Amino acid sequence: MKFECGDLERALAVPDLMPEAREHLKTCAACRREYRLWSDISTTARELHEEWESPALWPNVRAAIMAGQQAQRKGNRFKMRIWGVAASLAAAAVVVAAVMLVKPAMNRTAPGTAGAPAATASKVTGDATFLTENALAEVEKNESAYRKSIDRLAALAQPEIAKAANEMTVNYRERLLLLDSAIAETRASLEQNRYSVELQKELADLYHQKQKALEELLARDQKN
Amino acid sequence: MVREIGLPIRFATSFSEHPTDAQLVEECKRGNLRAYERLYEQHAPRMKSLALRLLGSRADAEDAVQDAFLKVYRAMAGFDGNSALSTWMYRILINCCYDVLRRQQRAAEAPVTREPAADSKVSLKIALERALARINERPRLVFVMFEVEGLKHSEIAAILQVPEGTSRNWLFEAKRDLKRILTETSR
Repeated sequence: MKFECGDLERALAVPDLMPEAREHLKTCAACRREYRLWSDISTTARELHEEWESPALWPNVRAAIMAGQQAQRKGNRFKMRIWGVAASLAAAAVVVAAVMLVKPAMNRTAPGTAGAPAATASKVTGDATFLTENALAEVEKNESAYRKSIDRLAALAQPEIAKAANEMTVNYRERLLLLDSAIAETRASLEQNRYSVELQKELADLYHQKQKALEELLARDQKN
Repeated sequence: MVREIGLPIRFATSFSEHPTDAQLVEECKRGNLRAYERLYEQHAPRMKSLALRLLGSRADAEDAVQDAFLKVYRAMAGFDGNSALSTWMYRILINCCYDVLRRQQRAAEAPVTREPAADSKVSLKIALERALARINERPRLVFVMFEVEGLKHSEIAAILQVPEGTSRNWLFEAKRDLKRILTETSR
């Protein structure tokens, strides 16, 4: 096949020029000019690469990264607060459930104490600060479930507590020890007076504080 | 698009002098800001030049590079290593450049590509710069990456997620159109 001027563009589509095209260029000045321009485009293109100093660019990138990180932290704190509120509501629900159980039982027993079973009558004095047997059983069941959940949370936080790598963790550890001590005292008091609504509420509040402290500690651990 | 994930920042002092890409990724995933700085040192010069050719001004190029690094940081946790780190970063950069171009178009600003000063004897470099602004977007992008920045077709294909043949074809299309424009303007 004879190579003609019109074939040049097709020939340029491949990186290595075919021998027929090379032969043609030797004899055709117009195609030589075209081919030279084609090659010059590539050569000149390399000169379009530019480098320049941008002393503010990395500091800006770094600042933007750090600002993004701070925003992320704020978001996490907000989520943790929401979670804390949800946990408080759950704890409050336990207390409300306990009180709701107490009231109907008291209503049943208070007016006709004479007709009530002896065991219950002996516990119910008409004073709203004391629980019935049934209500107490329900509260103790809820408390047990709540305590188990907090124990699981404590197990998760245990490595961080054991490490106590910084002042903040040491503070949390001390706070948790105080709470454990208060919980133990309240539980001991409850052993003496198992029907006290006040003591049950106090215990629920202490558990809630412990839950909150553990969640905060775990959230800090995740952030670090 | 990239996933928005933040990482904790660490300021590690000990850092390998010549870390591999995998080590850099690992360090970046751990939030080592020094690793990001190393990435910046390695890639920013070429990224700036590429952005300049796509956007036409150094200020816009720097903005795009800054955006790109921030997106790299946010998306690093999701980087799975299926492509080369540089390929992934260039892909992010190109998306950032397109974002800037879209903003420019929306704002109906003056020409996207910088117009060099008029000269009685326009050099081929300046003529080429002007001609580049007139060719189609994808061929222009491939031309800049291959001829100006020296990337290989395999890399360009990975960045643009097209077959290598397509990259070669777009390069040919770019050069053919540039040659036509340059021939016309020299007449």
